[in-house]
Amino acid sequence: MQNVASPGLSAKERVLIDQEVTSHEGRPGALLGILEAVQAANAHKYLSMDALRYIADKTGTPPARVYSAASFFALFNLFPQGDNTICVCRGTACHTRGSRDLLEKVCLDLGLGSQDLESTSEADKLALTTSDQKFTVRTVACFGQCALAPVVEINHHILSHVNERTLQREVGALTRGR
Amino acid sequence: MPEKTISIRIDGELVNAREGQSILEAARDHQCEIPTLCYLKGLSSVGACRMCMVELAGTERLLPACTTPVQDGMSLRTKSEKLTLYRRMAVELLLVERRHICSVCVSDGHCELQAMAKSLGITHLRYTYSAGRLPVDMTHPRFVLDHNRCILCTRCVRTCEEVEGASVWEIASRGIHSRIVSDLKDPWGQAHNCTDCGKCVQACPTGALAEKGYGVHQMVKDTDRVSRLALRRASHLGA
Repeated sequence: MQNVASPGLSAKERVLIDQEVTSHEGRPGALLGILEAVQAANAHKYLSMDALRYIADKTGTPPARVYSAASFFALFNLFPQGDNTICVCRGTACHTRGSRDLLEKVCLDLGLGSQDLESTSEADKLALTTSDQKFTVRTVACFGQCALAPVVEINHHILSHVNERTLQREVGALTRGR
Repeated sequence: MPEKTISIRIDGELVNAREGQSILEAARDHQCEIPTLCYLKGLSSVGACRMCMVELAGTERLLPACTTPVQDGMSLRTKSEKLTLYRRMAVELLLVERRHICSVCVSDGHCELQAMAKSLGITHLRYTYSAGRLPVDMTHPRFVLDHNRCILCTRCVRTCEEVEGASVWEIASRGIHSRIVSDLKDPWGQAHNCTDCGKCVQACPTGALAEKGYGVHQMVKDTDRVSRLALRRASHLGA
């Protein structure tokens, strides 16, 4: 029966979701906590459609509401993420200090399509992943580190006063290390 | 328990309203028409369309009549130059948000958005369409969803949840990327929870949700029927 509902879900993920749903039982607003835990446990840090369907099934929440929550929050990814995350700040201070150029440069270096960038550069939730699943480039509205602008976060490590050369060096180090 | 009666002033006229009633309901009880798009009698109010904005004496801010409860001594204006300006702007922005092309729409002539634009004297748009061409979902055997005509009023969302109890519809993403989705963004025809009842189609103010087999300006919606069902359900639940 469970296999019919979500055929692509591994037994491990299913057990995790079952545990999360049980531990949050009867608590209003549990959905976000469940989604967060399930995404964190995923190898590619994303919520698959099968996982969402299974969560909806287990919590008795309408699937549309689960999808609505997962697509609303920038925290949740609906597509597999790369092994390394490069997060470019697009806040005002970083913008005036050239974060758009940094974003374009890093996308070009990693071979992420410039047409993708153009169509999504104004979106608040930009997340581009290289085809080899090694890098994900995303944008963020502000890190709150405006004095250090422009700021780029690589794998949860914040780099300040970034210029194209330092960014290239950091990304290069990750590429060699992989 | 007897309901408390409240006196409020609407356009200078003293009217009685029940406690807990919204400004909009109180006004409509007294034949004072406030324009609305997202409001549908019997459904919960969300204040999404900003058509029902009214002026309250003593404050600069405009208030949405559908979600603001009446309070004793309120003095409201439902018609003014400022309100017309705001309503016009709201409709204009709704029109540019999607590709609304009345001349090829099934709901042409029976569309609440079109009627609203007409009543506000909008004959052309000052801005360019902000969205590209959006997909049309034809997967349902009887109905069709055209995102290009959707104004995100969420009437279908509320009808499905509150009247049918199926909760098929919801709004996904946010801002300019907001879309109506069925289940997990599944094609409508494959949405497991959909009961094919068609109440969302009847509740839709525009041609976004329509029945198949209708030509241009042939689709007439029966929103009153959805309202009646919603009210009956509410009284049934309240009893």
